Amino acid sequence: MKAFPKAKLQEVLKTLASKGTLYVPALVDETHRYYPYRADIQVSLEQNSAISPKEIFFPSTEKIYNFTAYGIDGDYEEILPDRTACVLFGVRSCDMQAILCMDDVFLTRGYIDEYYATRREGATIVALGCSKAGADCFCSSMGLNPVEHEGADAQLYDLGDYYGIQGRTEKGEKVVEALAVAGLLSESSAEVLVPEEFVLQVDSEGIAEKLQAMFEHSLWDQLWRKCINCGTCTYLCPTCHCFDISEKKKNQHCGVKIKCWDSCMFNEYAMMAGGHNPRPSKKEKVRQRFMHKLRYFPERYGKYQCTGCGRCIAKCPVNLEITDVINQVREAKVNG
Amino acid sequence: MVKDNATPENLAKATTEEIKRINPLIPMKAKVTKIIEETPDVKTFYISKEENGQMVVPFHTAPGQLAMLSLPGVGEAMFSATDAPDHLQLSIKKVGTLTDELHEIVPGQTVGIRGPYGNGFPMDQIKGKNVLFIAGGIGLAPVRTAVRYCVDHRDDFAKLHLVYGSRSPADLVFQYDLFETWPAVRDFQVSVTVDRGDDNWKGNVGFVPAFLEELKPNPDNTVCIICGPPIMIKFTLGILDKLGFTAENVITTLEMRMKCGIGKCGRCNIGSCYICLDGPVFTLAEMKKMPNEY
Repeated sequence: MKAFPKAKLQEVLKTLASKGTLYVPALVDETHRYYPYRADIQVSLEQNSAISPKEIFFPSTEKIYNFTAYGIDGDYEEILPDRTACVLFGVRSCDMQAILCMDDVFLTRGYIDEYYATRREGATIVALGCSKAGADCFCSSMGLNPVEHEGADAQLYDLGDYYGIQGRTEKGEKVVEALAVAGLLSESSAEVLVPEEFVLQVDSEGIAEKLQAMFEHSLWDQLWRKCINCGTCTYLCPTCHCFDISEKKKNQHCGVKIKCWDSCMFNEYAMMAGGHNPRPSKKEKVRQRFMHKLRYFPERYGKYQCTGCGRCIAKCPVNLEITDVINQVREAKVNG
Repeated sequence: MVKDNATPENLAKATTEEIKRINPLIPMKAKVTKIIEETPDVKTFYISKEENGQMVVPFHTAPGQLAMLSLPGVGEAMFSATDAPDHLQLSIKKVGTLTDELHEIVPGQTVGIRGPYGNGFPMDQIKGKNVLFIAGGIGLAPVRTAVRYCVDHRDDFAKLHLVYGSRSPADLVFQYDLFETWPAVRDFQVSVTVDRGDDNWKGNVGFVPAFLEELKPNPDNTVCIICGPPIMIKFTLGILDKLGFTAENVITTLEMRMKCGIGKCGRCNIGSCYICLDGPVFTLAEMKKMPNEY
């Protein structure tokens, strides 16, 4: 396998950054997320980022169009992101799978979300295989291979002192080629390091099917009790795609339409004009979140909308853990 | 009856080939050309777009389909849209921030509109059958899209019967259709009721379910299209069942909060169906398979 020494990571990143925008997981002000690469940034590949790379394609807030207000001859002016190429470096299997979930939502079923598509189309994803599992990680339980993901354009493997790299797509091959041209690659026959057994494991097999008959199950009467509807889980989740469309007036005549992350945990999310809310209490909101991830999404798109990244488990202030929910569903008596 | 939208096979049919490469979130600039005051809290807006100096329909909608109407600076919401040759008709009840503001505008006003959205009524599959329309209040707006289709294609359908009710005579929407246009159509029985009459009201007084039970429409070879307030729907469905209408032959529309209209923003789901995309039209049989969360 082609490989480069870990000691030369900065040179590798510099080489890639010289070709276009390069996003790397880094620590800035103690926040571990993806940032555009700079020589002075503290790149951190030790563990997965606290904030997933979803915000690169689907920012928490983005302007979608300008408008001139009604009353005068109003008009609309589209605001699209630049169609520039970028490379995402170090994306883990869980987050790669999450990007495929987002692709399903934003790029299929009759309509394309142009904002997501514009960013996504220009991106080359260089995935990074995990050699150890975090305490909250359970991707292997959700059917993923922590070491590699076939959806990536190129795959990095942990070879100990080296990172092995393989191109998977034309875009990925270009990354490998750029590193080869820069003289950074050599051949390595070292073994790929793989994680030891995951601390956190759950049996997700058949959960989507079982949940079909569990909408009215008494399980939901208890699960919601500790939830405080803070929405942290949905914001940190790499697959949560719900958004609100709102607007901001610049002055009496003009304004801007804004798309921003929304959460099924919030009351306004499904509240209709006139006050009717089909999911009025915490019970319905919590049920919606887990049913969406484990039942509705699989029914619609053929895959779980949970990739086992563990962020919601790590950050939930009341320890309402999806792995625990999966276990409870598994143990639940249907018709109970 | 209607295609079972929730099945993975049907959902998988929506392949990339059908994908439209336009920015679906940007509204089309349109103009309100006429406003009809239907009732004290319902107005019908005629909306056209200007094209080469002429006012034309912004886009065509099939019966039961939806359109997203926006007032820049105020908001955007989804409404049932009635297709007409050179305009769309949106009948809107005053219930919130946007609709309050809409009720203040005058003809000539610029608005934004995008669509069409949703599946619409399965008119092709109803062909040759009797159609029983049941509506309450503003629920006549979506039902009217199907009524107009049947009237325009009168020979494609057998007998037509509309049962409509509102709170009071003043709250009856589309009175010009109820009392003029539709009674003149061949084999079209129009039955109107109000919860409370007034001095001039000579028609039936009573709730829709009770009125329907009295009218005893025959379920043979008949499809029922019903829209209205949840309480009316609930009791009317009981009567329809008693009269012998099967769940496959009862069609209704569901309402959820919507933002994007294109199945991305998440909030309008009922189970794995997105109402903006897979709905708003469902048979009662389909609804029975969905979670009861609307």
